[in-house]
Amino acid sequence: MKWPDFKKKLSDWGYLASEVYHAPYRGAVARAKRDQDDLFMLLIFSEMMGVPNPAAYYTLELQPVLLERFHEWHTRMGMEHSPLDDFKCC
Amino acid sequence: MDHLFDRRIIFVGGKGGVGKTTTAGALALMAGEAGRSTLLVSTDPAHSLGDVFDIRVGNKETPLAPNLAGLEIDPEAEAERHIATVKMSMKSLVAPKMYGEIDRQLELARHSPGTVEAALLERMADLMSDAKSRFDLLIFDTAPSGHTIRLLSLPEVLSAWSDGMLGQRDRSRRLGELLSVFGRDHSREDEFGMIGGSKEEADDSRDGRIQDILLTRRRKFHRARALLTDPAVTAFLMVLTAERLPILETRKTLDLLAKFDVPVAGMIVNRLLPPEADGGFLQERRAQEQEYRDEIDRTFAHLQRVYLNLLSHDVHGVETLLEIGRAILRQLGQAREDLGAAEAP
Repeated sequence: MKWPDFKKKLSDWGYLASEVYHAPYRGAVARAKRDQDDLFMLLIFSEMMGVPNPAAYYTLELQPVLLERFHEWHTRMGMEHSPLDDFKCC
Repeated sequence: MDHLFDRRIIFVGGKGGVGKTTTAGALALMAGEAGRSTLLVSTDPAHSLGDVFDIRVGNKETPLAPNLAGLEIDPEAEAERHIATVKMSMKSLVAPKMYGEIDRQLELARHSPGTVEAALLERMADLMSDAKSRFDLLIFDTAPSGHTIRLLSLPEVLSAWSDGMLGQRDRSRRLGELLSVFGRDHSREDEFGMIGGSKEEADDSRDGRIQDILLTRRRKFHRARALLTDPAVTAFLMVLTAERLPILETRKTLDLLAKFDVPVAGMIVNRLLPPEADGGFLQERRAQEQEYRDEIDRTFAHLQRVYLNLLSHDVHGVETLLEIGRAILRQLGQAREDLGAAEAP
């Protein structure tokens, strides 16, 4: 085996090892982050779903920024279609 | 504290029908006459500012007298404008077939509770921070107490809200950073840097926009709050009549103002029966009134009080207003001298 090949093998193994070590954490952190982001979506869109929000006037101006994520979010929340009667995104 | 007109913002408040608009109008005229360019702002949804001056005012600054302009805030129009802005930016993001849905959804938002109130607060906050360049003095003729107190407490409540939202974003950002340590899988993120999305644009731009919007909000709330609670800038004047319910409501209002640290400059006891009013009926009323006057003097001993007599005619037009304004300022000056004399050894 030539040196460059060996080096590549080695770094592949290194990659694998780091994956074995990192992957479970990555999953956990990613889930934690997603939960935070989902909560944020809920805070922004709660008024639309009939949950009174004292800051509705101000969440409104954040809605355009988050609109593209709306579909992702409601499907992940276990709602196959948009939960809002008047707001069908799918 | 030297002179009432040394402040930049005066709120005139009190129970409905005790003479807030008249008092505010009188003070505004006096301020104008003293050479302070003044804006008199009515925040009561049922405006009567224009009626007192006999000039059509409406939702734009209208000259009322030399050095004095009036404005009747229309919160519905403000809310409309806010929502129109949101609509525009939403429509730039979605397919045209969604336009109908957006219109309908935002129409609901316009009628949701709190929207009009927030729009009113927004306009007031803008005036408080921006009018400085055009006016020396802002006088707010407020809606009946409960409504006003709620408005004044909103900046505090909403700063907490924006702090919370920013904190939440911050947690998400830190988790994102942690994620990159573990070798972030960018292909599974969208442009927010949120996992589970489908787009692969830069994560930071969307997060940055959210952050910007929230920070702008928080700055606005904090500034409004700082102005409201600064005794060198703001003064609250309570108007009441010598009757049971206005006294009770005034006490509650003052408690709340204290709770939110809004400085109170004094109170105006309006519509007292003048000594020359005679007749058995009025005699009885006066005895009753005296009781309430005593109660006012006892309960609000720590505040400057101004007493105004009931007039034999309607308050209508500039002359009567000026008369009232002079009476108020004279008594405030007198009270200060008395206070000064009492404090002198």
